[in-house]
Amino acid sequence: MAEEKKKPRTPPDPNSAKYKLNQIAQKAYTDVQEAKARGEKVGWISSNFPVEIPETLGLYVCYPENQAAGIAARGGGVRMCEAAESEGYSNDICAYARVSLAYARLGSAPEQDMPLPDYVLCCNNICNCMIKWYENLAKELNIPMIMIDIPFNPDDEVSDAELAYVKGQFLAAIEQLEEITGRKWTEERFREVMANSCRTSRAWLEATAMARYTPSPFNGFDLLNHMAVMVTARGKPEAADAMETLLKEYQANHEKGESTFRAEEKYRIMFEGIACWPWLRVTSTGMKSRGINMVTTIYADAFGFIYDDFDGMIRAYCKVPNAINLEVARDKRIKLCKDNSVEGLLVHVNRSCKLWSGFMSEMSRQIGRECDIPVVSFDGDQADARNFSEAQYDTRVQGLTEIMEARKEAAV
Amino acid sequence: MYTLGIDIGSTTTKCVMLRDGAEVLAASLVEAGVGADGTAEAVESVLVQSGLNMAAVAYTVATGYGRKRWTGADGEISELSAHALGCHFLMPEARTVIDIGGQDAKVISLDDSGRMSGFVMNDKCAAGTGRFLDVMAGILKVGVDALGSMAARSESPADISSTCTVFAESEVISQLANGTPVPDVVAGICNSVAARVSALARRQGVKEAVYMSGGVAKNEGVRKALERELGVTVSTSPDAQLAGALGAALNAYRKAST
Amino acid sequence: MTVQELLNTFHAAASDPAGQFHKYLDAGEKVVLTAPVYTPEEIIHAMGLVPFGAWGGDLALNKSKEYFPAFICAIMQSILELGIAGAYAGASAIVIPSLCDSLKCLGQNWKYAVKDIPFIPMTYPQNRANTVGKAFAKAGYERVITDLEKAAGAVFSEDALARSIAVYNAHNAAMRKADAAIAAHPEITASQRSDVFKSAWFMKKEEHTALVNALLEALEKTDGDAGRGTLPVMTSGILCDSPSLLQIFDELGLRIVADDVAAESRQYRTDAPEAGFAPLDALAEKFSRMDNCSVLYDVDKKRADLIAETAKARGAKGVVLVLTKFCDPEEFDYPIIKKSCAAAGVPLTLIEADRQMVNYEQARTLLEAFRDVL
Repeated sequence: MAEEKKKPRTPPDPNSAKYKLNQIAQKAYTDVQEAKARGEKVGWISSNFPVEIPETLGLYVCYPENQAAGIAARGGGVRMCEAAESEGYSNDICAYARVSLAYARLGSAPEQDMPLPDYVLCCNNICNCMIKWYENLAKELNIPMIMIDIPFNPDDEVSDAELAYVKGQFLAAIEQLEEITGRKWTEERFREVMANSCRTSRAWLEATAMARYTPSPFNGFDLLNHMAVMVTARGKPEAADAMETLLKEYQANHEKGESTFRAEEKYRIMFEGIACWPWLRVTSTGMKSRGINMVTTIYADAFGFIYDDFDGMIRAYCKVPNAINLEVARDKRIKLCKDNSVEGLLVHVNRSCKLWSGFMSEMSRQIGRECDIPVVSFDGDQADARNFSEAQYDTRVQGLTEIMEARKEAAV
Repeated sequence: MYTLGIDIGSTTTKCVMLRDGAEVLAASLVEAGVGADGTAEAVESVLVQSGLNMAAVAYTVATGYGRKRWTGADGEISELSAHALGCHFLMPEARTVIDIGGQDAKVISLDDSGRMSGFVMNDKCAAGTGRFLDVMAGILKVGVDALGSMAARSESPADISSTCTVFAESEVISQLANGTPVPDVVAGICNSVAARVSALARRQGVKEAVYMSGGVAKNEGVRKALERELGVTVSTSPDAQLAGALGAALNAYRKAST
Repeated sequence: MTVQELLNTFHAAASDPAGQFHKYLDAGEKVVLTAPVYTPEEIIHAMGLVPFGAWGGDLALNKSKEYFPAFICAIMQSILELGIAGAYAGASAIVIPSLCDSLKCLGQNWKYAVKDIPFIPMTYPQNRANTVGKAFAKAGYERVITDLEKAAGAVFSEDALARSIAVYNAHNAAMRKADAAIAAHPEITASQRSDVFKSAWFMKKEEHTALVNALLEALEKTDGDAGRGTLPVMTSGILCDSPSLLQIFDELGLRIVADDVAAESRQYRTDAPEAGFAPLDALAEKFSRMDNCSVLYDVDKKRADLIAETAKARGAKGVVLVLTKFCDPEEFDYPIIKKSCAAAGVPLTLIEADRQMVNYEQARTLLEAFRDVL
């Protein structure tokens, strides 16, 4: 951010959560780069693929979704999208996919490089678009694809049939990866990874739950940055350590009455949808300048996986936010709103994400009614800067603020 | 106490001078919006009409897309709140406000005390906005103000069903090329705007009484089509286009009196 | 019946789904709607219910916008629009598979938008050609059966399913033959060809098979009106049934000699085995063998090569990909298809279509230019 650059730089405290988390996020890329340089086979992996599998096998993988978000946040989204469009990809396709497919062809991007993959790991528990995207990566790069199909669950519970189906695929994926990479799966190593993953997740979920205090000890936009580590490194002990540090910092903030939200917290809202990475500063300023803290969002918690064994792990991956029906998805959000004293819901109608936006109108109406909070939506995109209008965003956030303000006045 | 409200829209600027938050002393409308600055002219006009000077004005509030760029105001509110306040003043029993402006169509819910409780607005596409009507009027070479009375003369409205302005434009052109009478095409255009806006209204939920504000409220073709689509009476008044500026002036009064 | 009379019969059914729908209801039958792209119709049929295709319609979208944002395809939007408007009133249920993200949303919205027609989800495995995949497909079918028992009071039996599988396989075979026969008969227009395929969605399959077989017989007696100055092409996409678009094909002399359209030939490529499997397993087996489709996982993208190969085998001079606006499975396949066709020397053109389009002038210009290039 421009105004922050002018401030004298204080050296970052290496014991702070922020420092540790940034180190891990950066190391995620350099580790893979080094592995690739050593001649090891490296992979690309979708964000909600069971990271326990590559982690247990000791594989180096990187995350195209994080990369696309990074490229978009640093201003390269439109350039990459246009590169994909020139190959025949429709501009209606998910912008992460467009950025990633363009990168696969170009092989570099000044905003965020990562080595090209020797195999791809795909899991469609977040969307079926993921299948198409990874099919194209595998086809264009002529590399193997490991696909774990976790279908959208129309029911409230994970059925035994689904569990058996997904488990069969987990086992097949492990076998396929062992063949490709020559690594071996061991039970002890899996138990370590599971322990790390659960430890990281517990600290993360506890940290995000600190938003229940008023004022919240943190700015919700922090979560969007820290989430990168939850996505990529939750199975590593250093991630667990960093998340526990974060939790301690938030606890300390709460005790001291401090917060990373650098403004008076006048309003507390839930934000729905993926961040508008190309417009992160605009979206964040639009809230902060009005004293709005985004205290909770479903997709931060999405990366906290807690379970006791292999089957439990499978069930956890079957229950990620975009794989569940409207009622279960709605109730999770209602709980977040109530637990965190949310006063309004701001919905990002994300042009890139059909699944996330496709039944959001009905679901957010139901949440608004149940929680008695105003619901306001704006149009945007996770990576294509062209699909966002600053004036529209500003008017709608202001409208939301005025409703919350009037309700506060009426309550007094 | 005198307060001033100014609504700087995309194509027009409206200004209202209010006495004691209750009586409209003067109002003006200038055909220049955000792009061509019409604020000075609009303000000057109400000052002249009311025989006041700026020093007599206790508080000024701006609204509309240009609200942030005008430095003359003491405060600003979103056009959503402005329309809610203005319409509540014009029609206290209104519970749903439909406003079709140049760039935006909005549907606002009011609670029983007249406070805004929620709203929806159109997506980024211009279909279903005043801009769409302007473009269509341009193609038909008729004044935008004449669209309403023209639509009333239609016997069998043309079907303009495309969801996209660009597609709708080519539909209109091919209707004309096929010899469809202009009033039928105009009625088709009004219906298509109404269909889109009523979809928006249903998303928000429609509670009677329904009041229509904004420049398009004058267009009987659109208003009547909205009534048909929603199955409710949609009221308006000659001051409907001033609702935003009036709301801003009301908000200014509230801010000045606290 | 003569060829023309038969074509008229197909046209009557294809152009009046509402009439067909009410014809069955009035006869006291129970109708179950089937959403795109694949549903286990054999099961519905075996339970004595009439499966009835619900692929939306060419109508203005209004009420669906209360649920869907603008960037969901018009197929999903118009299915919901028709549902809300009461066009399907009287149907016992709707079966919606979750084969694409927009279909998932259609199912979730349906529950609140059209409360009087029960939503029955069909969850297919994407990793389908293996033991766990087949077991999961079977579990999905069992769930559909249970839901249909509840929604329509219908009874399921494996014997009835075996008979229905035979009915469906016979229909598949007839449709494959019809596809080949029409290619050899240039006097059948693109619009008429579409009627043959589209009517299948609105008729009981045994009725439709009888008509198709009659057409095949009648065609055999007539010589293929070879040439006639038409240009053979192949179509691909989800849907290619818009009367105004097909009229442009006909006016420009573009003759469809093969298709890779989801609502047409993709439905009829794969049969359920009639021996060696219990009926429900045979159905799971069928799904496991299905392929070459944008909503079925295929890392090899065999579909792209199949399009180029089929075009060549049928003598098509080019391929017209009719892309349903906002259909991302198809949008992702397009660049790959483009490469395959280019490698095979098969010209390809892309037309973006929307169910709301009345006016296809842009498509006409494109097709005209395409014809001239060919």
